[in-house]
Amino acid sequence: MTIAVGFEGSANKLGVGIIRDQDVLSNVRHTYITPPGEGFLPRETAQHHRECILNVLQKALDEAKIMLKDVDVICYTKGPGMGAPLTVTALVARTVAQIYNKPIVAVNHCIGHIEMGRLITRSVNPTVLYVSGGNTQVIAYSRQRYRIFGETIDIAVGNCLDRFARLLKLSNDPSPGYNIEQLAKKGIKLAPLPYVVKGMDVSFSGILSYIEEHLSGWLDSKEFTPEDLCFSLQETVFAMLIEITERAMAHAKSSEVLIVGGVGCNEKLQDMMKVMCKERNAVLYATDERFCIDNGVMIAVAGLLQYKTQGHTSWAETTCVQRYRTDDVHISWRE
Amino acid sequence: MSTFSVNLSIPFPSGREAEIAYQVLRVDKEPSRASIAKNLILDNNLLQISISGTEARKVRVALTSFFDSLILVTETMQLFGPPVPTYNYY
Repeated sequence: MTIAVGFEGSANKLGVGIIRDQDVLSNVRHTYITPPGEGFLPRETAQHHRECILNVLQKALDEAKIMLKDVDVICYTKGPGMGAPLTVTALVARTVAQIYNKPIVAVNHCIGHIEMGRLITRSVNPTVLYVSGGNTQVIAYSRQRYRIFGETIDIAVGNCLDRFARLLKLSNDPSPGYNIEQLAKKGIKLAPLPYVVKGMDVSFSGILSYIEEHLSGWLDSKEFTPEDLCFSLQETVFAMLIEITERAMAHAKSSEVLIVGGVGCNEKLQDMMKVMCKERNAVLYATDERFCIDNGVMIAVAGLLQYKTQGHTSWAETTCVQRYRTDDVHISWRE
Repeated sequence: MSTFSVNLSIPFPSGREAEIAYQVLRVDKEPSRASIAKNLILDNNLLQISISGTEARKVRVALTSFFDSLILVTETMQLFGPPVPTYNYY
């Protein structure tokens, strides 16, 4: 039996998760929530992580009913993400590795999402839609790489939703995306928004600019309500994502879809994906907010796989990088 | 052009704790835009740091950031220590 602890802090969620082989022992998270209308910035987010990380670690150990000396491998997020917050979790991971003489493994955040999604849903070889505040990618596995079939050419879909929520001054608690989803349920009229699919890629920044330009006019004239706009934005951006996912499935001859990343816990997105899957006789695999949203368990899962096939990361390599592509990682644990 | 530099010597309760701080803090490189030189030296139970650069503001930012990190490492050692004598996974 191998026990792995995972540290995640690449954005505004700070998480520590502990697994024993394939069983989740604990999954503790603390989110840095900003006031309505404001996003999270690197310096303040790092400050939040510094203040919370030792408590979150202790809570994860308590819930797992283990001590750090019982852990076999320490895993942390190397990237991609914001530099300052990433560094906080890497520092603590390196320090506890030194205190208890444990091997350390540097994990790609995107690979963490994919491997934990596969483990939790027991899907075998899915086409993966990875949608979050920082990433939007359609991914399929081939020859020891997770290949990116399509992606955003500017901002991530979650970033588009977050910034739209800021325009409407929606609450960031528990997350802007969740509040958009709730308001969208009361939306009736579909506003005409740009639909931007470019081959296998998507673009969201133009949609956001378009909304920024028209927002006050729409609201003042009562042509559309905030609820209508939440509904319209979701319909438009999710339809774009489903189009490129379906095309990737056709290319990869895949009959499984796995949705991962923070936007993946949006039930409207899951419902729309279900319709497409049904038409193709495919199966949809999705998880709930415990595992969709960034967490420490995903880092432990991917880190443990990597550790078992490649061993630990050399000390000088236990750095952080802001850019780290999904297809840079050699997937040594799959055929 | 004048150079601003800061030299500090930080004592730890034991040589091993100083070594951990040294090993943990030496890994991350300063961002290239910071255009400062940072050097860490381990001397028994002392961690010596020198930071220098041509802009006082950047030296101050690097020093603050160093202390943020150092405090986090020492707090981690206080809460989860004491450390075992050696590390085998370099």
